[in-house]
Amino acid sequence: MAGNGAIKRDGGKGVKDMVMERIKSIKDIPPEENMLPGTPTCAGCGGLLALRHCMKALGRKIVIVNAAGCFTLLTIYPYTPFKNSWLYTAMACAPAGAQGIRDALDILIKKGRLDPDENLKVVVLTGDGSAYDMSLSSTSGAINRNLDFYYICYDNEAYGNTGVQWSGATPFASKTGTTPPGMLSPIGAELAKKDLFAIWNSHKPPYLATISPAHPVDLINKFKKAEQYKGPKLFIALSPCPPGWGIDPSYTVKLAKLAVDTGVWALKEAVFGNLKHTVVPKRFKPVEEYLKVQGRFAHLFKPVRQEGALNKIQEGVDEYWNRHKLLL
Amino acid sequence: MLTGNAAAAWGVRLAEVDYIPVYPITPQTEIIETLAGWISNGVMDSRFVTMDSEHSMLTAAGSASATGARAFTATSSQGLLYGFEMLYAVAGWRVPLVMVNVSRGLSSPITLEPDHNDVLAARDTGFLQIHCETCQEVLDSILMAYRLAEDERVLLPIFVNLDGFYLSFTREPVAVPDVEQVRNFLPLYQPKHAFFKASQPMAQSAAVLGGSSYSYFKYQMHMASQNALAVYKEVCDEFETGFGRNYDTVEGYMLDDADYVLVMTNSFSTLGKAAVKAARERGIKAGLLRLRLLRPFPVADLKAAIGGKKAVAVIDQNISIGKGGILHSEIASCLYNEKHRPLLLSFIAGLGGKNISPDEFEFIITKMIEGEDTEDAGTAQLIYTDKEWQEMGRLKGMAGKG
Amino acid sequence: MYRLRFHGRGGQGARVASKVLGTAAFLDGYYAQDFPLYGAERRGAPVAASTRIAEDPIMERGVIPEPDIVIVMDETLLQDPLTMPLSGLKPGGIVIINTTNSPAEAKAEYKINANVLTLGITKIGLDMLGMPILSTLAGGVAARIVGLSEDSLTEAVKKVLSSIITDKKLLDKNVAAALYCFNAITPIETKIELKTIDTNKKKSTVISLPFEPAAVSSPAINATGNTPLRMTGNWRVFRPAWNYEACTRCMICVARCPDGCILINEDGYPYTDYDNCKGCLICVEECPTNTLGKVMEVHAKKVIGN
Ligand SMILES: Cc1ncc(C[n+]2csc(CCOP(=O)(O)OP(=O)(O)O)c2C)c(N)n1
Ligand code: SF4
Repeated sequence: MAGNGAIKRDGGKGVKDMVMERIKSIKDIPPEENMLPGTPTCAGCGGLLALRHCMKALGRKIVIVNAAGCFTLLTIYPYTPFKNSWLYTAMACAPAGAQGIRDALDILIKKGRLDPDENLKVVVLTGDGSAYDMSLSSTSGAINRNLDFYYICYDNEAYGNTGVQWSGATPFASKTGTTPPGMLSPIGAELAKKDLFAIWNSHKPPYLATISPAHPVDLINKFKKAEQYKGPKLFIALSPCPPGWGIDPSYTVKLAKLAVDTGVWALKEAVFGNLKHTVVPKRFKPVEEYLKVQGRFAHLFKPVRQEGALNKIQEGVDEYWNRHKLLL
Repeated sequence: MLTGNAAAAWGVRLAEVDYIPVYPITPQTEIIETLAGWISNGVMDSRFVTMDSEHSMLTAAGSASATGARAFTATSSQGLLYGFEMLYAVAGWRVPLVMVNVSRGLSSPITLEPDHNDVLAARDTGFLQIHCETCQEVLDSILMAYRLAEDERVLLPIFVNLDGFYLSFTREPVAVPDVEQVRNFLPLYQPKHAFFKASQPMAQSAAVLGGSSYSYFKYQMHMASQNALAVYKEVCDEFETGFGRNYDTVEGYMLDDADYVLVMTNSFSTLGKAAVKAARERGIKAGLLRLRLLRPFPVADLKAAIGGKKAVAVIDQNISIGKGGILHSEIASCLYNEKHRPLLLSFIAGLGGKNISPDEFEFIITKMIEGEDTEDAGTAQLIYTDKEWQEMGRLKGMAGKG
Repeated sequence: MYRLRFHGRGGQGARVASKVLGTAAFLDGYYAQDFPLYGAERRGAPVAASTRIAEDPIMERGVIPEPDIVIVMDETLLQDPLTMPLSGLKPGGIVIINTTNSPAEAKAEYKINANVLTLGITKIGLDMLGMPILSTLAGGVAARIVGLSEDSLTEAVKKVLSSIITDKKLLDKNVAAALYCFNAITPIETKIELKTIDTNKKKSTVISLPFEPAAVSSPAINATGNTPLRMTGNWRVFRPAWNYEACTRCMICVARCPDGCILINEDGYPYTDYDNCKGCLICVEECPTNTLGKVMEVHAKKVIGN
């Protein structure tokens, strides 16, 4: 069966990049698998699902530059799921690694030491802990230098690889290993999630978008659109994480959809700073529907309902959509 | 006439480096400003980028090297430590990055002047290390460094170290070689082991699980570093043939017939040589050994140079707090199993760029002679004078600590 | 010394079982050590954990390469070529298998050449706890086999679980289930002794590592797309099962699989790559028709075959 599968995974096509047009439905998603199974990520990892679609959109002529996180373990000697190149750097500096590779490829091509056909797109891949916290300096530098690269942040809203601790992306009232709800602080995380989209967008990069593993058509079209721009092309994927969020692995996609349908995760893009929402739910579901199915928010419902915190979360979401005049 | 920093820049220019990511720090800035000027004027065909930190700078330099470009970067003290994580990382990638460190004492207290705690902190990283005494040597060492690092038997990154101020800002005559001649000595870098190209995907710097894999990769780095000892000799011979200057792993000064030997590194060695000369004039058979290659550590050359001597004083311009001089420990471990090992004395001197005066050298040489008589090496000692102590007292008074 | 190794699937509780056993042994006055083995795998992969129990201070650390007793918490692991739970088992050693089969049947089915004990603890777990988490149950079984006391087991379950769960009722149920298992299994006479013996039977030779150039010895991978060799299919507790009658070939399952384990056959129908499917069951959850259902692996093996 595996042999059979290996042929199918290729969709019968070779390394050549397909020219990709905007797609309309799930049926149009390119059949090529550029990332093979057998990785050590958790069953039901939302980040992996998002990455799988990003890889379809990016093709194989890429080099991924990775920072410390769960996805560092995608390549474990002697295994790699990829048909493309990869470099693991460290937690703080994947964008700097992208800078070195991009510049080196450019100068080698310019000096005639590398065939232009050998050129690669440079793709940074990090978790939220890296993106929101430790690599802010190197990312800001790379965007500011207008580095021609992609950045994919799989945002599981915690330091996942170290066993789920608070990161700058952890939402208010979430339970993590370092924000345990207790007698004195029954809410869990007391700080609001950083708005990385806004931080990055203050640089007015050519392309910036939020994506969701549950919206692959939107995701792939965003990559397609980004392709036309030279410079930073940045993506943040809200990625349900079964062990971190306290959900059954089978529930990842449902939850990713709920995040969008409740308005918690706004699907949007910004071109040179100009913002547009790409998926706006017709009727927003109450945020509580999203919260109550997750173990990391269970303390908001039991043993006592944390009404104040629940209201605050809903108000935050409403405020966002009101501000953008999209709450009808 | 060139400063040590300008000589370093010339070395980089002659090596026709492809890529130079930088971050400024005193006393290294002249190197990167010089390179920036050349590139801006088109006399050098390299890509130059100012990064957001030394951590990023080292990452960019290492990953450019992992892509197949010849890369260079430079830093000093705080900057080196800020990028420290990436020293181990880049060495593990097995890429031949050449990096200049302009030595400067480490904070706290913050200072600008040199000692070697910065570069010696990196001695276990996998980077090779060449330490220079003169501006000419800085230029030449950069060329040799690329040859050594890019050799397939080695493939490890390398430091070329020079002292801040005492060398970085000191002008002295430097012969600048001809670029064609350099090209003969240093061919294009065309890696077979680490590159990025569409037709041959490569996953570099993969994670490993389990101690056996980790031990394998780490020990291979050690063996590659050990190989560098023999490769260095070849590079050294070829360099001498091409350019007429010889740089062995260690340099002896009035050493052959010496009974009492000072061991030093970097620019302060010049002061040591003067002290040796003065001692000879007083009829003392003094000599000096300057260590040039510190990683890999030239054990055999060191033993050959000081084995059978009466007494050896290691002057460490660094301090491993809680242990003492770093080089003293390293040299002692080389000599321990030797039959005719000299008495080995330990001195800490020149910390934070503190001058070592002739009186102080005389004290050290006298200690060697006394020690030889009493067969007692004594304990490690900081070289510090009464005058300095008095001056310090004055400063303490002004600081309200009187 | 007793050296015990627990093998389970992620979430079944092998680590906690080793802790319960270690704690119970300590409470009974023995020297004890327990140790979970971390792999690269996140949640879901097969897990191993070790417990050492001795009368003298324990001069060993890490994974137990040659156990006296192996506790197989998931029967299907016995056929897994990557986990190989019985590897290194000492002659005269004991294998305890979570199965409803008799020891003789299990011995025959899995061709085991050792002392075999069986107890269907999954069913006990479901009956007594309402869930297939087997940590305290496996701990109870192991405690009996090595001859620990009921009191210490009770205390150990309370100690270990109180740091994990807050639900007092669930804790009590766990104590009851552990004791039930403790009493449901009968120890067997065998030659393993509770005193320290040298484990290093097979002598290995220390070599001088040869130098290899960086093209060989850098931690870079020149192969591509070879993770399927890892066969993460062995992570599954449940498998997605297909019934194509209702399938409209909508491709939703294909788009939803994080691992890309749903492939398309010549007729355009999706099917699962069972060698690699981790069993997250997103496809089952997302299938808009009734094409996909879930079947427990143990049964799947018997009903469907592999
Ligand atoms: C400098 C440094 N500090 C800490 C760590 C430990 N560490 C490894 S992965 C990780 C979490 C990364 O979190 P995130 O970026 O959110 O990615 P995830 O693990 O969730 O995939 C941490 C803290 C590290 N590798 N390097
Ligand atoms: S911890 Fe979360 S993000 Fe990390 S591999 Fe598991 S599911 Fe994915």
